[in-house]
Amino acid sequence: MIQNGFMTKFWASFIAVSVAVSLFPLVTTSEYSLRVATIMLLWIGMAGCWNLMSGYTGYIDFGPVVYFGLGSYTTAIVMTKYGALFFPSVILAGVVAALIALPIGISTLRLKGAYFAIATFAFAETMKQVSLEFDRTFGVTFFEGSHGITLPLSGHDNVFFFYCILAVTIVIVLLHYSIEHSKFGYGLKAIHEAEHAAEIAGVNTTGLKLRAYVTSAFFLGLLGGIEAYWITYITPADVFNVHKTVQMVIMTLLGGMGTFLGPIVGASFLTLLSEYLGATFVEDYMILVGAIIIIIILIMPNGIVGTIKERKGIRFI
Amino acid sequence: MVVLECIDISKSFGALMAVEMVSFSLKRGEILGMIGPNGAGKTTLFNCLIGVYPPDTGRVLFNGQEIYGKRPHKICRLGMVKTSQIMEPFRAMTVFENVLVGALHGGQFNMSEARRETTNVLELVGLAEHSEKPSISISVPARRRLELARALVTGAKVLLLDENMAGLNPHEIDEALDLLRKIRDSGKSLIVVEHIMRAVMGISDRIIVLNYGAKIAEGTPGDVVNDEQVIQAYLGCDFSSC
Repeated sequence: MIQNGFMTKFWASFIAVSVAVSLFPLVTTSEYSLRVATIMLLWIGMAGCWNLMSGYTGYIDFGPVVYFGLGSYTTAIVMTKYGALFFPSVILAGVVAALIALPIGISTLRLKGAYFAIATFAFAETMKQVSLEFDRTFGVTFFEGSHGITLPLSGHDNVFFFYCILAVTIVIVLLHYSIEHSKFGYGLKAIHEAEHAAEIAGVNTTGLKLRAYVTSAFFLGLLGGIEAYWITYITPADVFNVHKTVQMVIMTLLGGMGTFLGPIVGASFLTLLSEYLGATFVEDYMILVGAIIIIIILIMPNGIVGTIKERKGIRFI
Repeated sequence: MVVLECIDISKSFGALMAVEMVSFSLKRGEILGMIGPNGAGKTTLFNCLIGVYPPDTGRVLFNGQEIYGKRPHKICRLGMVKTSQIMEPFRAMTVFENVLVGALHGGQFNMSEARRETTNVLELVGLAEHSEKPSISISVPARRRLELARALVTGAKVLLLDENMAGLNPHEIDEALDLLRKIRDSGKSLIVVEHIMRAVMGISDRIIVLNYGAKIAEGTPGDVVNDEQVIQAYLGCDFSSC
């Protein structure tokens, strides 16, 4: 009964927010705010992907950017080399990311704590090097090394990309909601709390971790593919940039790990904060951003959502 | 009817022989006590049975089926589960959610069945009133019962209880014993590892005694306490006259 109350409330607010957000391009006239809104949605999606895996299971993935980058490259390569259309290319990007995540997950998810973080970080750096050196090593033009790949100009405006990213991000948010009180979600949280006890109580820990990891990779691949077509120019240094990983981690931690609203709040907050401070204090805004992050982590160690939830006993969903 | 049969199980860690050629069987509806000094291999034996690590040698037959090398979650779903000596509640979850994990994953129930099973089991172990509390906020006896509930809700037919009464006072032990009998009467078989002699003697149909990894005695509680070897290794004096 209580559950139903939460569900109605969730759907009401979810639909209201989604409609409001999707009307945004119609009411704004500024290309700048549209771009900021798109970037914000992109970060919500990316932080959400990280949260799906690391937030729920507590396995700190320090290389999620690799699936974003693989998505970008898949899209770029099939569009430029094989003349594929955008939408099929993006779907393929997600599938390729997921297929690569499968063996990587099987081999790294048996590691715990810092070792898992190091392994995933190393894999992301490895893929960056592979995409840099592949062509020279094998004498082909595939990744095109450090030149990067220029994608065909889309002819679509920012509004198109806003909706593409919004669609994927909405699916990621819905996915969070659907696992929050599901068998899958309870299993992941149990792994986070006490993996050994979870396994004894019947949780297929390896299977669930792998499912979360591959799902997260799939959606990162989609987002990477869309972003590549949006900015039309990709290089290994950009799409495999470790800063993307760090952003996903910090945004989720700021919002609250393993919570449904965490990535949304964290990513929105940090994107808007950086934009505002960046425009106001052009030279030294990073100092302010850093200071604010530190202060929030100090007073809200479980993230904004996590801490409010804990202190007030509020349940968001 | 025999539900669990262990034949010549051994397990060593490096040079340490933790369990050495232990054989025993468990009948349906039986409570088997397992006693022995610290380090005798009781917990290791449990871990071998539920698949935390496979035994080096020997066979484990569960309902006649060989379960060697299966992962703990598989063995749990087949119907054998243990409660840990070191309590490991899922800390961020409520009591209800803790047990729900066992119902959903170990019991393989769908959500509504799992909720119903969870409610029933919490009622049975006497945790119904604590259901919505965070699992870290309840007392030690309640946490012991939570461990038991999480194992029970999986529907397992064989429960291995590793010092599930440790830290309880005499009154709480009596309650726990009543609960275990109730569980046994519902058709389950139990292996109970316990250091509290009054508890284990009172409840067990049969007792096996481990010392340095080997089984040194097996029999009714009355036989075991009078066994010379058991007295030397564990009880320290003639238990029946203490």
